[in-house]
Amino acid sequence: MADEHKSTFSRRGFLKGAGVAAATTAVESANALAREAQAAAQPDPTLGPGALPVKLRINGQDHAVTIEPRYTLAETLRNNVGLTGTKVVCDRGSCSACTVWLDNVPALACMTLAIDATGREITTIEGLATGDTMHQVQAAFVKHDALQCGFCTPGMIMSCAALLERNPNPRLADVKHAVSGNLCRCGTYPKVFAATLEVAQQRQQTAGLVGLTTGKEA
Amino acid sequence: MNKFAYVDCKTVDETLAQLGPDATIKAGGIDLLDLMKDGIVAPPKLVNIRNVSSLRGITAAPDGLRIGPLSTLTEISVHPEVQLRYAALSDAAGHAATPQVRNMATLGGNIMQRPRCWYFRSTDFDCKKKGGTSQDCHAHEGENQYHAVINNGTCAMVHPSSTAVPLLAMNAEVELTSKRGKRTVPMSGFYVPPEKSLINETVVQPGEIITSIFVPAPEPGTRSAYQKYGEKESFDWPLADAGVVLVMAGQHCRQARVVLGVAAPTPMRATAAEAVLTGKTIDEATARAAAKAAMQEATPLSQNGYKTQLFQTAIYRTVLLAAGQMQRDPSAIG
Amino acid sequence: MPLEIITQEQEQGAQPGAKKVPNAAKPEPQAVHQDVAAPPVASKDSGPPKRSESFVFGIPQNGLTSKQREVPVDEPPPLARNADLRYIGKPTARYDGPAKAMGKGKYTADVQLPGMLYARMVDASVPHGRIVSIDTAAAEKLPGVRAVYVVQHTYGLAELRDPKQETPSRYPLIRYAGQPIAGIAAVSPQIADDAAKLIKVQYDPMPFVVDRTEARAADAPAVFPGPADAAGSAGGGGGPKGVPQVGNVHGPQRKQTGDPAAGFAAADVVVESEYFTQVQTHSALETHGFVVDWKPDEVTVYASTQGTSSVRNDMADVFKLPKSQVRVITEFMGGGFGAKFGIGNEGAVAANLSRMTNAPVKLMLDRRQEHIVSNRPDSHQKLKIGAKRDGTLTAIELTSYGTAGVGTGAGTAGPATNLYTCPNLLTEEYDVFTNAGPGAAFRAPGHPQGCFAFEQAIDELAVKLAMDPIALRDKIDENQARRVERQLIVERTNWRNRRPAGSDAGPIKRGMGVAQSVWYRFVSMNSSCEVRVSRDGSVELMSAVQDLGTGTKTMLAIVVAEEFGIPPGQVVIRIGDTRFPVGPDSGGSVTAGSITPAVRNAAYQAKQQLFAAVAPQLGTTPDNLHLAEGRVLFKNDPSRSYTLKQITGKLPTDEISARATRGPEYAKEKLTYGGVDYVELAVDTETGRVHVEKVFGAHDCGRPINPTGVISQINGGILQGISYALFEQRIMDRKTGYMLNANLDNYKILGAREVPEIEIELVENYIAQSSTDAAGIGESAGIITLAAAIGNAFFNATGVRMRSIPMTPANVLAALGKVPGQPGQEVQA
Repeated sequence: MADEHKSTFSRRGFLKGAGVAAATTAVESANALAREAQAAAQPDPTLGPGALPVKLRINGQDHAVTIEPRYTLAETLRNNVGLTGTKVVCDRGSCSACTVWLDNVPALACMTLAIDATGREITTIEGLATGDTMHQVQAAFVKHDALQCGFCTPGMIMSCAALLERNPNPRLADVKHAVSGNLCRCGTYPKVFAATLEVAQQRQQTAGLVGLTTGKEA
Repeated sequence: MNKFAYVDCKTVDETLAQLGPDATIKAGGIDLLDLMKDGIVAPPKLVNIRNVSSLRGITAAPDGLRIGPLSTLTEISVHPEVQLRYAALSDAAGHAATPQVRNMATLGGNIMQRPRCWYFRSTDFDCKKKGGTSQDCHAHEGENQYHAVINNGTCAMVHPSSTAVPLLAMNAEVELTSKRGKRTVPMSGFYVPPEKSLINETVVQPGEIITSIFVPAPEPGTRSAYQKYGEKESFDWPLADAGVVLVMAGQHCRQARVVLGVAAPTPMRATAAEAVLTGKTIDEATARAAAKAAMQEATPLSQNGYKTQLFQTAIYRTVLLAAGQMQRDPSAIG
Repeated sequence: MPLEIITQEQEQGAQPGAKKVPNAAKPEPQAVHQDVAAPPVASKDSGPPKRSESFVFGIPQNGLTSKQREVPVDEPPPLARNADLRYIGKPTARYDGPAKAMGKGKYTADVQLPGMLYARMVDASVPHGRIVSIDTAAAEKLPGVRAVYVVQHTYGLAELRDPKQETPSRYPLIRYAGQPIAGIAAVSPQIADDAAKLIKVQYDPMPFVVDRTEARAADAPAVFPGPADAAGSAGGGGGPKGVPQVGNVHGPQRKQTGDPAAGFAAADVVVESEYFTQVQTHSALETHGFVVDWKPDEVTVYASTQGTSSVRNDMADVFKLPKSQVRVITEFMGGGFGAKFGIGNEGAVAANLSRMTNAPVKLMLDRRQEHIVSNRPDSHQKLKIGAKRDGTLTAIELTSYGTAGVGTGAGTAGPATNLYTCPNLLTEEYDVFTNAGPGAAFRAPGHPQGCFAFEQAIDELAVKLAMDPIALRDKIDENQARRVERQLIVERTNWRNRRPAGSDAGPIKRGMGVAQSVWYRFVSMNSSCEVRVSRDGSVELMSAVQDLGTGTKTMLAIVVAEEFGIPPGQVVIRIGDTRFPVGPDSGGSVTAGSITPAVRNAAYQAKQQLFAAVAPQLGTTPDNLHLAEGRVLFKNDPSRSYTLKQITGKLPTDEISARATRGPEYAKEKLTYGGVDYVELAVDTETGRVHVEKVFGAHDCGRPINPTGVISQINGGILQGISYALFEQRIMDRKTGYMLNANLDNYKILGAREVPEIEIELVENYIAQSSTDAAGIGESAGIITLAAAIGNAFFNATGVRMRSIPMTPANVLAALGKVPGQPGQEVQA
C-alpha cells in the first residue's frame, strides 16, 4: 500500500513537477494517469534522488536520457548523450570551456543541472554547424588559427558566436569582454579576437551589399 | 556532488510549501553547485525556484526600483533605467564573475553567496565556521593575502558579492517571505558579522525566501559608481572594491555613501570616508583624503597589508568616477 | 640545465617516465649539444653511401650563402630557401582545425568505449606519513563499483639511493598531500566519486615541510631519510643524480669553466643580485588521463600524452608486456607543456583497473589533481657578473636553490651558461626537497627562472656601465640570429625613444625592456614514418608521432605536399598511433627537427618509386619526371604532363610505400636557437597592476615549415610568459601542507583582457643539418624571456627592480614601498 502510494506520487510528480516531458511507457496509459491525478490531491513533486528519465532538447532534437538530479548538463551531454564537443576543464565555472547556449544565451554546462535544462533549447558546439558546413565563426577560427590544442575552442566559439548575435558590430574590447571568462592555456586569444572581428566585418559588408541592392531595386 | 532529491517550483507558495529542514533553495545554482562539488554542503533536497516567474523582472517606478531576485546579473546590468539612475548597481552586476556566470547567476543568489576563504571552501580544513573543532581562524596564521583587512579578528573571510556593495550604498531593502508572511530588511541589517554569528551570514531564516529587492529612487543630483580590483582584469575575485553614491550640487557633495565589499567579512559603510566627502567640493585631493580616512581602521594580517593601499586606490578612483571626473579605470576588473 | 634527449637505446628501468638517456650520451657540463643522438659522423666506408650537396645557409637578413654537405644518397636534393618553395614556409590552415572547431575531435577525455568504466583517483590527505591501513570494503560494496585498486608503487617521486634507510611498509610512504593511493572503477563517474569518499585511510603522520626556505634549515623535517634522486621524463626535467645531499638540500650540481675568481678580479664592474621565482603548475586544459582497454592479446591505451612511445615503453616496462602487445593512441590532445610523458600513476592505475575488471577504464585526473601532479619548480638565485668597461664579460657566478617538491630538476643555469660568451663561469644548482607534488619538465625547463634572473642582471650591468641594454648584448652575444632579432627590435619598435628609468611623474608609469632566450637543437632518432601512395592518387603519411596542439599534423602535411606538388589539404595524415612507425616524444622542441626530415625523405623515396614504376610506360626515365602543382611533368618536354592520378593509375600494384627514419645530423656542430622579446608596459603604482601593452618578438626556429603554426606557438609562449610573470603561483598552506589554490579561479592564468598587442617576426635560419632544416619553437617561444623582459621594462618604468615573481599587486606594491611596514626598494634613475 505504502509502495503503491509512493510510486503514484512520484510518477505523477515527475510528469508535472519540473515540466519534464517524459516518454510515456506503454503501461502508463492516459486513463491510468488521469485516475491517479484525481486520487492524489496533494501530489509530491519530488524527483530523485535516483535516476529518472527526462527529455532534453539539444541542437533542435529531443534526446531521452536517464539521469539523476545531480548530473550536470556537461556530464549528461558528454557521458549520456555522447556529445563530447562540450569540454569540462575546471568544473567550477571558472574557465567557460563548457559554454553552451541555453535558450540562445551562453551558459555553463558544468554549473547547470541537466534536470534544470529540461524545457530549454540547448545548443552545443555540435549544433552550430549546418551539416558539414561550419558556422562563420568556426570557419574564421580555422582560417585565423584561433585554436591550438583545441580544448578551449568549443567554449570560445560559443562565446564569440553569441556575441555576434547580440552585437553585430563589436570592437576589440567587446570581444575581449565576451571571452573574459574563457581560459586558454595555449595562447590563442589574439587570433580569437581577429577571427571574431573578421566575421563581424564580413557580416557588415554583406549587410551593406544587401542594403545597396535593395536601394537600387527601389 | 552528493545525491539529492529535486523539486521544481513554479510559484512562491509551492516553494514555501517545500521548504523544510532538508531543503536548500537553488536559483541560478552557481555558488550552490560550487559548494556541493567541493563537499562543503550536501543538501538532501534542492528546491528549484529558477522557474518561479513572479520572482523575475525589473520594475522602475517613481519611488524606486523593484528587482525580482531571480533577475540575472546580465539582465540588471543591461537594464536602461538601472544604467541611467543606478549606475553603481549596473557596474557591479555587469562586472561580476564571467559573462556566462552573469547570464545564470541571480541577484538573490549573488547576495546570498557564502563567503570567500580557501580555508572555508576546502574540506581539508575544519574551520570553526563550518562547525569544525579548530578554535583559531586558519587565515590568521596562514595564507591570508586575499583575506579581510577590517574587522578580521573573529573570522577573516570576505563576502564576494559585488552587487551587495551598491545595494548597501543605495539603502536598498530586501523583502523576505515565509509562510508567516512578509518582512522587509534593510541591506544595512541584512548581513550578520562573524562576531555575532559564525554560522548565520545573513538574517534570512529557515523557511524564508527573498521575494523582492527594492532600491529607493535616488535624490536629484545623485551619481554613483562601483569598481573592483584584483590581480587581473579578466574574471578574478576582487581584492578591493568600492561602491560610491554621491548626492551632488554642482561639484559640491551634499551627501556621500561609500561602501567597501571585500574589506571586511561583510560589506561595510566607510563612514570616515563619507564624513570627509560630505560638504566638500569633490576633487582628487578630497577623494584621496576620504580614501585614507577609510583605511584608518584597517588591521591588516601578515600578508594582506597591500590591500589597504589597494582599497585607498579603489575608493579615490571610484569617488572620482562617480563624480564624473575620471574614466572607468583600466586597472579595474571587467 | 639543458634537456636531455631520447635515443634509440633505452634504460631497462621500470620507472614510468624514466629518462631514456644512455650514460654514454650524457651531455657534458655546459655543452650545448645538438649531437647527442647523432654519433660522430661514421667513416665513409661504414655508413651509408653519401653524395655531396650544396645547401642554402645562413640568415636572409645577413645574406644567404651556401654550405657543402655530405648526405646519404637516398635523401632528396636540398630544399631551396622558403621564398622559392611552393608550400613550405607558406601560412597554412591547421589540418585538424575544422574537427576541433566543430567539436568533433575525440580527445582522450572524450573516448567512449562499449562497457567502459569510469575511474577516480583517491589521493593522500596528509603531506607526510605512513599509511597504517586502507579500508576499501565500503567502497567495494557500493552498487556500481567494479573494482578498487590500491597503489603498490608511486611513480614520479625521487627514490632513496639506499632503500634500506626506510623501514619497509605495506603501502608506499606518503610524501605529499595528493599522492595517489588508490583507484576506483565504477559504472558512472558519479558512483566512482561516491566510492572515493568511502575509502578510509588511516595515517601515521610525520613532520613535513612545504616551504623551500624552511626546508633548507638544518632541523627541518626530512622529506627523505637519506640521499634520493629522481628521474626526469622523456620530456626532460629531473635533476642530477649522485650529488651530495645534506638534509633536504640535494646538490650542488657544480659546473666550472676557467677561473671565476680571476675573472672577477679582472672586472671593472661587478653586479651582484638575488632573484626569486614561484612554483608554476602546467594547467593544461585537458587533465592527465588515460583510457585503457586491457585485452589478452593487446592492451589499447588512449593517452593524453606528449609521447605515444613513452607511454608504450612504460606500459611494457611496468606490466612486463611485449611492446608488440601495447597500442597507444593519441589522436587529439588537450595540451601538455612538458608534464605528460609516460603512464604516470594515473596510467598505471587505469591499466590495473582495466585488467581487474576486464573492461575499458577511463581515468582522467580532476583539476585539483592536475595542479598537484606536476609543476615548474621555484627558485632562489644569487648571481654575480663581472665585466670590463666595454661590456666584455669576465666572470659569471650563479647559485640557485629551487624546490621540485618530492622530485628534482630545479636547476636554472641554462641561460647564464649558454647565452653569452664568458671565459669564467661557476654555477651551483641545488634542489630542495619539500613535501609537495613533484616538479616536471615544463616548457623550457629551468630557463624562464634562469632568464628572469640572468637577463635582469645583464640589464643591471648595463645600468652600471651606462650602456644601452641592446648595445651591451650586441657586445657579448655571438649568436647571429639574435643579432638580427635585436636589430629588428631597434628598427620596428619604440626602442630608440626609450627614456631614462622612472620618467613618468604620475601614478601610471610606462617603460620598455628586452630579454633574450636560448634553446638547444635536440634530435630524436626515434623518428620514423611511412608514406603511402595508392593507385587512385591518394597520399597518406603515417607515424606514431603525436600533435599536442602544436600543429604537427599540418607541418607534416606541408612537407609531404611540397614533395608531391599537391596542396597540403590533399595529404592524409595519420599520426598518434603506435601501430605506425615510431615517432619522437614531443619535449624540448624536438618534434619538428626530428620528424620532418624523415617525412620528407619518405615522401621523396615514395615519389622515386612511383617514377621508377611508371617511367617505362611513359616512355621515359624516372629522372626525367618531377611533380609540381599536382601534375607529373617531363623535364625535357614542358608541353607534356599528367595529373598525379593519371600517373598513379599506371602503378603495377595497388599501393607503393616508403618508410624512412631520421638520420644523423649532417654535421657535428653545437647549435642553439634564440629569440629576443621586447615589452612595453604600464605600471599602475597605486594598484600594483602591471599592464603589458605591447610585445614584439623576433624568433629563430631554423626553417619555419608553417609560419601560421609557429606564430601561434610564439603567441602562446609570450602569453604563458606574461601569465607566469604576473599571475601564476602555487599557494601552499605551510601549516597543513595542502595546496590552497588547486583550481582555476585562485590559480590565476592570463585571460583575454590581459592580452597585449603582439607582433612577431620569424627569422629564417638555414643550418644545413637535415633535409628540412626545421626546428621546434615550443621552448624558445617567449616563455623563457617574458618575465625578464617585463622585469626590465618594469625597471625602466619605475626605477625599481622586481626581484620576485609573480608581479601581483601584493608584490609590486611591496616593492614600490606602498605597503605599511614594508620598506620597498630604492628607486634608481
